Amino acid sequence: MSEQELQINPIVQDSVIHNTKTLTNLHSLTASLFGVSAGILGLESYYGFLYYIALSITTSLLFYVFKLAPGSLAEGRSVLDTGRYYKGALELWTSPIFNGLPGFILTWTLFYGLVRA
Amino acid sequence: MPPLLLRPHASLSHAEALQVAQQAPEFLRKNPASYSASPLFSLFSPPESSKTWTIYENLLLACLRTGDYTTAHQCLERLVIRFGGNDERIQALKGLVKEAEATDNSELEQVLKEYEAILANDNTNVPISKRRIALLRAMGRTAEASEALVQFLDFATTDAEAWIELSDLYLSQGLYAQAIYAQEEALVIAPNAWNLHARLGEMLFMAAESGSDGHPQAYLAESLKRFCRSIELCDDYLRGYYGLKRVTDKLLDKDSKQKKPSDSDEVTLPETSTIEQLNLAATKKLGDIVRKYDAKDPLWQGYDSGEVAAARACLSETSQNMVR
Amino acid sequence: MAQIPPQTLHRDPQLFYWILIPITIVMVLTGVLRHYASVLMATTPKKADIKAIREQRALAHGAALRTNYHVLSRKSFETRRDFLIEGFESGAYLKAPNQKGQPPANPMTDPNAMEGMMGMMKNNMAMIIPNTLIMSWINAFFSGYVIMKLPFPITIKFKSMLQAGVQTKDMDPRWMSSISWYFLCIFGLQFVYVFLLGSDNAASQIAQQMQAQQMPVGPMAPGQDPSKMFKAEAENLAVIEHYSVLDGIEERLLERIKV
Repeated sequence: MSEQELQINPIVQDSVIHNTKTLTNLHSLTASLFGVSAGILGLESYYGFLYYIALSITTSLLFYVFKLAPGSLAEGRSVLDTGRYYKGALELWTSPIFNGLPGFILTWTLFYGLVRA
Repeated sequence: MPPLLLRPHASLSHAEALQVAQQAPEFLRKNPASYSASPLFSLFSPPESSKTWTIYENLLLACLRTGDYTTAHQCLERLVIRFGGNDERIQALKGLVKEAEATDNSELEQVLKEYEAILANDNTNVPISKRRIALLRAMGRTAEASEALVQFLDFATTDAEAWIELSDLYLSQGLYAQAIYAQEEALVIAPNAWNLHARLGEMLFMAAESGSDGHPQAYLAESLKRFCRSIELCDDYLRGYYGLKRVTDKLLDKDSKQKKPSDSDEVTLPETSTIEQLNLAATKKLGDIVRKYDAKDPLWQGYDSGEVAAARACLSETSQNMVR
Repeated sequence: MAQIPPQTLHRDPQLFYWILIPITIVMVLTGVLRHYASVLMATTPKKADIKAIREQRALAHGAALRTNYHVLSRKSFETRRDFLIEGFESGAYLKAPNQKGQPPANPMTDPNAMEGMMGMMKNNMAMIIPNTLIMSWINAFFSGYVIMKLPFPITIKFKSMLQAGVQTKDMDPRWMSSISWYFLCIFGLQFVYVFLLGSDNAASQIAQQMQAQQMPVGPMAPGQDPSKMFKAEAENLAVIEHYSVLDGIEERLLERIKV
């Protein structure tokens, strides 16, 4: 978006921060729970990471369906367009995966260690 | 929209203010008089948050507005216990209570002297400076108030609130050019505030109406642009549409009467057809808003009833003209 | 090729109770402590005198005009610009107009600058001190044990980091010692802090470091000559090519509400 367009249709920085923060918090909490379940299931190497990626995309999807879709479909946006709340689609689908990863690894390791000790 | 208790007090109507003030005794009863710093005690008392203190402040203002001075004093007392009597904001609130209780001019003079004493000690005390200016204005000493405000703005050039107050002060004296200048300064600080855009549009419109100085045509053209911008920033903004309708009516009216080329090349008027379209759109939107408001549509109840009434009057006037 | 049987180690379950849990609890508690320490140490901004405020606000005013010039029409922008440029260049807003052009005072002697540096020092201290303490505590008490196995394979390069203090050559690098659990905690405890302290916490040091990097330099960085900053701002204002959001707004609005 060009500078001039941004001045015509301004984006309020506070709202952007709030939206991102909500999503990040949701993901860091759920990621730790996914870690617990992955550890208890005893998943190893790739399966663990695939499990995490699949689940966190599902979380994003559920977040979209329950939180974003009512507002953004009402505005006449196409399905899965997150432009009303986030700057880019990546912000909803991929960046939370990396935010939650450390928490996931922590709890995964912990519970894997506890269960398989 | 936040609950009634947390909304900024100035935005409340009289009925809402009364409603808030009536909740005050209960709120005072439910919350402890003071919060202890000891962690053991805090386990057993309701949690303290910044919201609590916003509510206390709003209750204080509402009680003053409805004349319930005893409750107001209780609120103030708790604020003083929490923040100490020397906090700038608390000092201003104390002064406010005294102002409200003053019965004649000499008592107000007394309060004014106190403010000046505080300011002599510490000339950067923003809340007290603002109270002093407001008091001067309330006492009818407009010239002194605007002088004090200009002085205040000299060191706090980025205070949008003060610029708006100054603009309002100038407007009340009919100094349109100055009022517009001050309002524009406020806009530079808060560029996306649609209410400020609409307000500036109103000022420009008034300046054009008065026709005392300059070129009314240029004022009208900019006023039109300001209203457009405020609607662009906030869909369904009643004041914006109302202003847009008034200004386009005026422009169309004028166009038919006198076809004077605008002597200012700065702000140019759009094509007459565009103005007509805007006028139509504004009329339609105002009609929509009034109809939905009257039909008690739950999504359209956020408007001020006085503003809707003004829109209704404006619409009926138009339709009468059409019939004629 | 026959499958290599995975290495198995028999570990005393007591290792969990006496190493893993204490380290985790200590890490969580330090995070909480750091949060409250930063809340308590947040200094209330010191009262500046009226001249200093005026200088700072005037600069902010110039910056506001520079970023938001688009709300004004050309004429009113130009009056403001000329007014501000003149004021900035003549030094009318300076705290001490007669000191213009002199080199800035040594930040060590200027009490205001010292204040800002102290704030930074405090923040850094709040990060460094607990880290060194915990590291040395773990090294002193818990080194030489292997406590856990990572659930995913990693390359041999990590061996020296994860198995610090465990001199076993052939052990799978997936086995990790207490110090690596500490590192995992540093990175991964964010969710605990979110849960305990809410999302605005100052507990996680990773988040704090990222914040510190992103933080733009304040309008009045200590040790800079204000008269130079005013000159620079005046230049910035002078080169602005003005346009207004009000240009062609009528057509834009019609387009928008017709949809």
